[in-house]
Amino acid sequence: MENLHLLGVGLGLGLIVIGAGMGIGRLAAAAAEGIARQPEASDKITAAVNLPLFLLEGVAILGEVFALLIVLMK
Amino acid sequence: MSVAADQSHTAGTSVLDQVGDNIIHHVSNSSLDQPLIHLPQIFGINFSVTKHVLMLWIVTILLTCAVIIPVRKYLQQDKPVPSGWMNVLESIVKFFRDSIVQPNIGSKYSETWAPLILTFFFFILFANGIGLIPVFDLLGALNRFVFQVPASAEHNLINSLLHGGVTATGNFNVTAGLAVITFFAIMIAGIYAHGFINHWKNLAPHGLPWPVYIILIPIEIIGMFVKPFALTMRLAANMTGGHIAILAILSFMAIFAEMFQSTVTGLSLALFSIPMATAISGLELIVVMVQAYVFTLLSAVFIGMAINVHH
Repeated sequence: MENLHLLGVGLGLGLIVIGAGMGIGRLAAAAAEGIARQPEASDKITAAVNLPLFLLEGVAILGEVFALLIVLMK
Repeated sequence: MSVAADQSHTAGTSVLDQVGDNIIHHVSNSSLDQPLIHLPQIFGINFSVTKHVLMLWIVTILLTCAVIIPVRKYLQQDKPVPSGWMNVLESIVKFFRDSIVQPNIGSKYSETWAPLILTFFFFILFANGIGLIPVFDLLGALNRFVFQVPASAEHNLINSLLHGGVTATGNFNVTAGLAVITFFAIMIAGIYAHGFINHWKNLAPHGLPWPVYIILIPIEIIGMFVKPFALTMRLAANMTGGHIAILAILSFMAIFAEMFQSTVTGLSLALFSIPMATAISGLELIVVMVQAYVFTLLSAVFIGMAINVHH
């Protein structure tokens, strides 16, 4: 039972990937749709998508760092 | 990796432990007990030069040669048309000024903050990029297999250079230092634009009923510290993560050779491992540039949030 934390880390990493993947996927889908409807606004759409994309990525990376910390500092 | 497999048979430990130690050893800083250059302790802080400190100095020297000296030379010459390397630098500077600093900080203060943003970008780009060049690993391989110096020789300079990773931005302390600069830049930008009292008042929107402030003010104060913390974690974790992925995929060779007790299995896995590691290295080239861009973009956005208050 002393290796149970590894199970938790594995499940947590899976959840992180699901969350980040869904978030980034929806963002990219909406951006692609917007650009398809209005190709002339693609610069503005890209600029507006960038910031939430990076903030989202930051949350996922934070989760991964804490998962790594649980493994290393158990 | 085959070296790790050999050692595991002699030492009697499992190859998985060896591989894990090897990966951690590759991405972490060299230990303070064996610094490259011994320096005295001042105020209880050990100033000895470890691997990441050495890499920071190398990045600084490279930046001086690649950015500062060409720009100074260009500013001193008479004709305003840039040539050669200055064209590249000028297009990068123009891109950052026009599409990051101007929209986020505003034209009034863009000249004030563009130098800081550009310094962040060039420093992080060079520090990230150097991590992808395996110059010390190559020197170590030459040292070991061409000049036949044993790996355990403590007094060989190249062997001591092999302890620890080469990506200085993969160290949380380095990125925390960069994020602390952003933290103070946000406060200085707000105070410079609105005055000392008004900057702190601007943290929370005005004109709300008072019970809202009980929740809002702590959230805003936490947010003030979360911004640089997220910057720290994002950059360092991205830089460390790519190296861990590459090394883990290469380690499959050793792990599978141990698992099936056959060298042929390990070597045939190279057909999978080496193309994957190459592909991830290509991905890392993009990540290196994107992360330098992200750090500077977010710094500009945060500084702009302190200057252009939208409440």
